[in-house]
Amino acid sequence: MTRHRLPDLLVWGGLALPAVAFVAVASTMAAEDLEDLLLPSGELSARLLIVALAITPFAMLLPNNGFINWLRRQRRAIGLAAFGYGVLHLVFYLIAMGTLDAVLTELGATGIWTGWVALALLVPLALTSNNAAMRMLGRNWKRVQRLAYPAALLTLAHWLTIHDGFIVALAHFAPLVILELIRILRRRTPVAATA
Amino acid sequence: MKRFLISLAAISVATAIAAPAHATGKMTCDAPKAQWKPIAALKQSLTAQKWAVRKAKVDGGCYEVYGTTPEGDKVEAYFHPVSFEKLLVSRRGEVLFRKK
Repeated sequence: MTRHRLPDLLVWGGLALPAVAFVAVASTMAAEDLEDLLLPSGELSARLLIVALAITPFAMLLPNNGFINWLRRQRRAIGLAAFGYGVLHLVFYLIAMGTLDAVLTELGATGIWTGWVALALLVPLALTSNNAAMRMLGRNWKRVQRLAYPAALLTLAHWLTIHDGFIVALAHFAPLVILELIRILRRRTPVAATA
Repeated sequence: MKRFLISLAAISVATAIAAPAHATGKMTCDAPKAQWKPIAALKQSLTAQKWAVRKAKVDGGCYEVYGTTPEGDKVEAYFHPVSFEKLLVSRRGEVLFRKK
């Protein structure tokens, strides 16, 4: 733990802060009203996932940028926070729904199963987001981490279809899509990349 | 090309942050406001029909209710503000009922 520098610890603290606020607010609410926390908790989780995924293609655009290099070091924390707020989002959902029967009834809705699968895909990713797992998995570690891409696509589908979120979801994911497009275009024209 | 894509990204970030709350457009009613019956009366009527109403508000000139149907489905439902006729019921983005 002593390897962590103070600013990095502040990042972990900062990322955990909204969770404290969420739980404090939730504790004052009736169970079924936790429905109202689904949008902010889900949005925060999706935003963090987008940021975590955008860091690498962004770094390719701005090599040797101090801020981007700092962000790269925070990628694990940001990714884990995305997963953490996804779990919190699910916990709020389950409490608001109240019964297993109610949960199963709407499981088939596009807006619902996409959310379940997106979060499920992030589980192996979160579990291997530590140095020991990196060493153990070696080359396969990167394969596991690539689950973030299908998870992001399903998160987008979840957001697009669930409830009035179409435009906002598109606006959130557009920057990531654009960054990935630039990354692909650059890979196809390696000469331009050195310019 | 790159500059175009970057400005597109900037615009979308601004949209995401600034997206205002507005009428969703999922359902619209055009009854004059003077004729509307109180929203509390709709809540009362639904409760009598074994609905559990969690929240009720105005959207697109209709009354929009969040609650649980007598069948136990957690839904979002639209009602006409004068006749209280059921216009649209949806669950997690899926339409369960739409008035023909």
